[in-house]
Amino acid sequence: MMNRYEEAFEKVSKRKEAAFIPFAVAGDPDPDMFINVIKAYVKGGADILEIGYPFSDPVADGPVNQRAAQRAIKAGLNHRNFFELISAIRTFTNIPIGLLTYANSITHIGYDVFCKKAAKAGIDSILVADMPPEESQELGACMRKYGIGRVFIVSEFTPDQRMRYICKSVDSFVYVVSRPGITGVDATLSASVKTTLSRLKKVTDKPLAVGFGISTPEHVRDVRRAGAQGVIVGSALVSEIETSVIRGITPSSALLKKVKSLKAATAASWQN
Amino acid sequence: MFAPETLMPALAEVEAAYELFGGDAHWQSEYRRLLETYNGRPTPLYEAVNLAARLTGGRARIFLKREDLNHTGAHKITNALGQALLARFMGKNRLIAETGAGQHGVATATAAALLGMSCDIYMGTIDMERQKPNVFRMGLLGARVVPVESGGKTLKDAVNEAMRDWTKSVKDTHYAFGSALGPHPFPTIVRDFQSIIGTECRAQILKAAGRLPSEIVACVGGGSNAIGIFSAFIKDNGVKLIGVEAGGKGLRGNQHAVRLTPSPHAKPGILHGAYSYVLQDRDGQIADTHSVSAGLDYSGIGPEHAHLFDTGRATYTFATDKEAVGAFKMLCETEGIIPALESSHAAAYVIKQAAKIKKDSVIVINLSGRGDKDIESVAKFLGTDI
Repeated sequence: MMNRYEEAFEKVSKRKEAAFIPFAVAGDPDPDMFINVIKAYVKGGADILEIGYPFSDPVADGPVNQRAAQRAIKAGLNHRNFFELISAIRTFTNIPIGLLTYANSITHIGYDVFCKKAAKAGIDSILVADMPPEESQELGACMRKYGIGRVFIVSEFTPDQRMRYICKSVDSFVYVVSRPGITGVDATLSASVKTTLSRLKKVTDKPLAVGFGISTPEHVRDVRRAGAQGVIVGSALVSEIETSVIRGITPSSALLKKVKSLKAATAASWQN
Repeated sequence: MFAPETLMPALAEVEAAYELFGGDAHWQSEYRRLLETYNGRPTPLYEAVNLAARLTGGRARIFLKREDLNHTGAHKITNALGQALLARFMGKNRLIAETGAGQHGVATATAAALLGMSCDIYMGTIDMERQKPNVFRMGLLGARVVPVESGGKTLKDAVNEAMRDWTKSVKDTHYAFGSALGPHPFPTIVRDFQSIIGTECRAQILKAAGRLPSEIVACVGGGSNAIGIFSAFIKDNGVKLIGVEAGGKGLRGNQHAVRLTPSPHAKPGILHGAYSYVLQDRDGQIADTHSVSAGLDYSGIGPEHAHLFDTGRATYTFATDKEAVGAFKMLCETEGIIPALESSHAAAYVIKQAAKIKKDSVIVINLSGRGDKDIESVAKFLGTDI
């Protein structure tokens, strides 16, 4: 039986599209509004969801996502209601749900308990932003036990040998960062993405999803043309949520429009 | 190590370069030359006769390892010079660092000025407010101080921002961690550079007292001055090693930075790349801390201290803000030495234990820095307007 990720990537590949993967921090700006955000993502054409577990000190994230995490924590997101929110998402969609988290949030609860709850709630993959494959053996074993896929990051600075090692450790998809640094919105996309993707294609046939700094349909098209099978958009959508919070309005309608335009761009032709 | 993948190649580069640097006669002799002629090492070991008379009536001897006499006023410069040379050895021309009290920031800015490197220092805005002279000093030395507004706006948040900068700038930039924390190999590198404190102290105390000390007392924020002085005595099982954390307003509530005395908040966890003891809430969110001394105001503790704590080789305790300020005043009055508020925590422990000090004990307090930077904070604490 195919898992949700295999199904999702096969589906978009048949349509000659890249998977569109929007990101949100769980519980941002509050639990109810977060569910509305995810509904807008799904309605707008998300193929896969990437959900962040809010952490007080997200060193791999920029200011936009850190503020989102702070809003979520302040609004009461904790490790008890987090899994309830994921279960709530599962009542209206069957697309893959990836979790992006930091090591302390998992070690604090315990690997086995965390993975068991995550699998039960409907999480398909986990990426721990500050836990490289070397440190992930024990967590990886727990994830396998509960059928959760591993995701790791590769950047343009990753040497070839390490690329092979990371790709071997990956189950669901390889998270390719578009440029060195942290999450955030950029005006232009780094030209190095194409080189990184070609290097990766020589060492793996696992799906490659590009993230960090992608904010416009043009970026999505560029990344698709460079050969990505998935495009992750985070901060650009999270700042829409933030803007809505500041204006005191529901984020869904603006988000829906943005998500639709980003998804449409994933159909760009793939030029080798 | 628990670091984002984008830092892994940089950490591997630092690790490999550090090994070569350690075996390179030219760079090592350059480091020694700077330590002697620029930094002012070895620092003296001074016998605080007046303090010992006041506290023990002369039945014990108390020595101060005078790290406050280092260039720039604290032990931090010893590590900053080492890391700046390491950066140069790796061909990098920019240094970044975090700072709490501003001492490591000043030390890094100094090393950068000396070696002709550009330098950005990340500092929480709360710390900038209480350490204004050091902010100005860094500017004079040609460094840019980057204000950090995120989170609790103190040392932890400054580390976050410095790590973020480094993930973007690894090609030409070295992150000179200021304490024995962060991802491997930094705790090792900082310990090695600071271990000269212990090496000097061991030789000095043998000469001055003809024996090893009964105990060595040092304050612990991230823990670099403590691990530096402890390192030479770890195998001497008769020497008690005592780390003093910042008790802030006391252990009730969370207005403190005590990670190694059992409390509901202090648990093993992962912060800034290292697995150690971390102050956190019941959801694993890192707790904000409080201390009158900016340099001890940190939620995590160097992993080597966690190890010394777990194995029982070192003992960890704490002193409150009030006790530290009391010790600050006592050192001023008895010895004519204005100690850093950080170091005052170590002295405060000795003062608290004074009645229990055995006859003929030999105690060494690591006086990690001088207190000129703290004058304003102390005045404010005492309710005096200056």
